Amino acid sequence: MRGLTRAFALGLALAFIAAACTVGTTTPSPTVAASATSGRPKLELSTYQYALQTKGKIRIGTQEDNTPFSVKNPATGKWDGFDVAVGREIAKAIFGESDDPDKYIEYVPVTSATRIPSLTDNKADVIIKTFTINEDRKKQIDFSDVYFKTGQRILVKKDNTTIKEAADLAGKTVCAQRGSTSEQNISSATNGAARPLLLDSYPACLLALQQGQADAVSTDETILFGLVKQDPNTKIVGKYFSTEPYGIGIKKSVNGDRTGFVDFINRTQIVMITGGTWAKLYEQYITPVSGDKKRTPDD
Amino acid sequence: MPGEIAFEFPELFFTGLWLTIQISVLGLVGAIVIGTFVALARVSPLVPLRWIGGAYVEFFRNTPLIVQLFFLFLGLPFLGFRFSTDTFESIFRAAATGMALYHGAYVAEVVRGGLLGVDRGQIEAARSLGLSYVQMLQHVQLPQTFRSVIPPLGNIGIALVKNTSLASTIGVAELLYAAEIVESRTFRTYEAFIAATMLYLLLTIPLGIAVNALERRMLVVR
Repeated sequence: MRGLTRAFALGLALAFIAAACTVGTTTPSPTVAASATSGRPKLELSTYQYALQTKGKIRIGTQEDNTPFSVKNPATGKWDGFDVAVGREIAKAIFGESDDPDKYIEYVPVTSATRIPSLTDNKADVIIKTFTINEDRKKQIDFSDVYFKTGQRILVKKDNTTIKEAADLAGKTVCAQRGSTSEQNISSATNGAARPLLLDSYPACLLALQQGQADAVSTDETILFGLVKQDPNTKIVGKYFSTEPYGIGIKKSVNGDRTGFVDFINRTQIVMITGGTWAKLYEQYITPVSGDKKRTPDD
Repeated sequence: MPGEIAFEFPELFFTGLWLTIQISVLGLVGAIVIGTFVALARVSPLVPLRWIGGAYVEFFRNTPLIVQLFFLFLGLPFLGFRFSTDTFESIFRAAATGMALYHGAYVAEVVRGGLLGVDRGQIEAARSLGLSYVQMLQHVQLPQTFRSVIPPLGNIGIALVKNTSLASTIGVAELLYAAEIVESRTFRTYEAFIAATMLYLLLTIPLGIAVNALERRMLVVR
């Protein structure tokens, strides 16, 4: 018994010494950790992106069911989509190249109603969720530069030849979401001559279109992409009759807690666009539903 | 003055009010007719009728009105039935029908209670005097039933007027719809909804007063 206790105590002591040794050698000095020894980008000390790099995770707020911008596969739990890919580019810019960028990302599911609060309550570091930049929102949060431009267009059945532009909607039944800016835009674009059928959601509008109870559905082209994916027997027509520029949402810097972050995101975006990654992502996620190709957001 | 915003957008608020009135009246009349027949079925001596009546009440009472309206507008076409070729007529008819079917189930239960509350002696006396079943209903049981069920029917009527606001979910441009449109365009949320509330009260309060007056006139003294 005595021998066993002594052996145990010795083993414990050895374990503690071994642990102490390893801890001693890996204590990083702040300036060294950020250098290229671990393959990670060099970032300035005082910035928020440096704080994220040290933390090892970036929290990206996006939506679970916003085809083709962000979709979460319910079976595998994996996220995919254009917005998600943009998020991975930002993660790469902070944490460096990796075979699985998702290990540095924590996805925070948000909706249109919760996206601004999730930033101001510090539940997410960035919001990448088909977020239209406008003056009212700029009062509450910061936006990056425009990373995607879209506008309002019209969805009709594939065999429809009478509706080609917004002006053709006069006298027709057009479906949109009640209380949205989309229905106001239809009214101004047709001088009130369109007959609005206002329902609660766009899938309901799609159903009305399929049954012939609506002649067209009109809203942001990006939402129409999702509807076309649902029903390939429809097509999107018309030029943009409103513009919706999307930006990445970032909390306003209070007492310097987001120093340099907006500029960092903007620089990452410029690299993405000039380096051809943006065009590749567009081709991968947007072209299958839109049929066109773009090299930059301004195309 | 609260509710002033209604006069700034009269084509939305007052057209909406008129549509609310139309749907309420059609819905209430339909509900009373349907409810009476279903109640009679439920107390009838014929077992199949009792079963059909029971099934009707269970189905329409236990499913949400919004779901029923949605089904009437966007579900029936799958079964080949449309209320009209014009979409806006279609949604109006679907809304009125939905109101009648849903509240019909509640009316049925109230009328059934009234039917069972009529003194057994009255019914037996009527039959023994040689009145047929229908004559007995027409001259003895139903008149007494309606006198006693006026207060609960009044309740159902007021609930129905408020439930017409759900027709906005299938696109009917009634009162709630008007408030939501005005709110989204002007951001004057409180004003818009206070105006809608006042206009709803303009319908429900007189309805309540009328029901009370009717009840006093037809007081059932036991």
